[in-house]
Amino acid sequence: MNILTTKTMNDILEQIALCVENGKINQKSPYPPSMKGQLGADELTLQALEEGVAPADVLSKGLIVGMGRIGVKFRENKVFVPQVLMSAKAMSGAMAHLKKYFLDGSVKRKGKIIIGTVEGDLHDIGKNLVSMIAEGNGYEVIDLGVDVPAEKFIEAIKMNPGAFVGMSALLTTTMAKMEKINKIIKSEFPEVITCVGGAPLNNEFAKKIGADYYTDEPQALVEILDKLVA
Amino acid sequence: MNVDKWISDIIASRERCTVPIMTHPGIEMIGATVKEAVQSGEKHAQAINELSKKYPSKAATVIMDLTVEAEAFGSSIAFPENDMPHIQGSLVDSESIEGLQIPSLSAGRVPEYILANKMAAEMITDKPVFAGAIGPFSLAGRLYGMSEIMVACYLEPDAIALLLDKCSRFIEDYCMELKRTGCSGVIIAEPAAGLLSNEDCLQFSSVYIKNIIDKVQDDSFMVVLHNCGNTGQCTDAMIYTGAKAYHFGNAISMPEVLKQCPADTLVMGNINPVGVLRMMSPEEIEKEVTSLLEQTAEFPNFVLSTGCDVPPCVPEENIQAYYNALSAFNRRI
Repeated sequence: MNILTTKTMNDILEQIALCVENGKINQKSPYPPSMKGQLGADELTLQALEEGVAPADVLSKGLIVGMGRIGVKFRENKVFVPQVLMSAKAMSGAMAHLKKYFLDGSVKRKGKIIIGTVEGDLHDIGKNLVSMIAEGNGYEVIDLGVDVPAEKFIEAIKMNPGAFVGMSALLTTTMAKMEKINKIIKSEFPEVITCVGGAPLNNEFAKKIGADYYTDEPQALVEILDKLVA
Repeated sequence: MNVDKWISDIIASRERCTVPIMTHPGIEMIGATVKEAVQSGEKHAQAINELSKKYPSKAATVIMDLTVEAEAFGSSIAFPENDMPHIQGSLVDSESIEGLQIPSLSAGRVPEYILANKMAAEMITDKPVFAGAIGPFSLAGRLYGMSEIMVACYLEPDAIALLLDKCSRFIEDYCMELKRTGCSGVIIAEPAAGLLSNEDCLQFSSVYIKNIIDKVQDDSFMVVLHNCGNTGQCTDAMIYTGAKAYHFGNAISMPEVLKQCPADTLVMGNINPVGVLRMMSPEEIEKEVTSLLEQTAEFPNFVLSTGCDVPPCVPEENIQAYYNALSAFNRRI
């Protein structure tokens, strides 16, 4: 194992951040065309770990930085859904190299969030975006998928004490299900913080159904979670 | 009907008009369920006709059902009793696109929708009837998986181009048939393209829509291009298609987009169908509609509309409030 100078270490972490920000998965990926042939988040993460960069630094100073930048650009309408998904894919490939460090406890997440699209609703793109950006910002995401009934949320909360809960809905009819699920969660676990989102929702609706937070874009949710875990 | 004259009359008129995308209140008026209306052309047409008689819309619109075309390709569809049908799972991946057959117009519920349009065009003779179809990118996303296609556009562009080609060929056939029913136009709903940048919207949606428009649009049949996902970033790509009308959702500023769109096209939008029409009180709705009419007053080509399909269970007094605000505005000018 080589010992890196601080400058070299910072350089490689910045390169990892750039790969995530630009959705550069690995060397063979054709995207983005401007980085064709260059190493991606996959190879650079492996290289950083082999050269002695702390796994926690790879996560917090490389991957999370890149994902944070793309989240902000998304909020500012400078990039759009496909670019965020490419960033998430780059992040996910790199995270595979960190898995053993999560398991042995040398790298810790900021917190956990249980996410699902509520019962009766099969739309997943909003939920996926939130999942990816939350994960990319250092949270462990327990993704329950789509069409998730209250019992499944309750079961996941029991298995993951202290986790936040995020619920998504795209249909006006399933918004009503969201109210029911939130009520059941709050009656059994009043301390659990629930967040809701989805195209037809707004802040008033979230307040009406007793959810703790509503956000209309994923980076805002991450900022709320960051404040809650600080 | 000469749609060019219909458009120029609207632009020349001092009075504002409305074309809401609204069918669910009509389904409720005839006592049918959504499931029945989306499966029976006859019930569907009755609902549109009843609604058209009750409210003074400038054109009648059919159900915005974005599962019909995917079902024809072979997607599995769930039919809730009182909500719109939805697609269950994806149908193709990049390996199976080549073998995907372009369906005939007798597949799935396509014949029922053609029947609904034909009956509606026969029953409603005092205004144009606009049929509905999905856009090619939105259809491809439904067949391939929406998250998956967004990534595949960059990683497997050739496979996605083939899928888009198959989707647009089917939509073109469908639109040609809708034209033969006597409808005066078709609202092509392409919401998924609103998630793309302008450049990507052009490449993965607009070039295909332009091909369809070049084939089907003339002075008797117009295309209204609906994109409720556009927040303002892909308006130029929409305009590239050459549609005679553009329809926007509530995520966009109408005065801003009106400045961008050609003055001889109709620009429609964008009262929030859920946040305003369904959830607000009649008084609040009147204020919202009046505010939009005032903000857009300087643009003769603006047509008041809902930003997307009006959902089920909107109280009648809310719809009336929408129309009351329009009437009051017209009385003042």
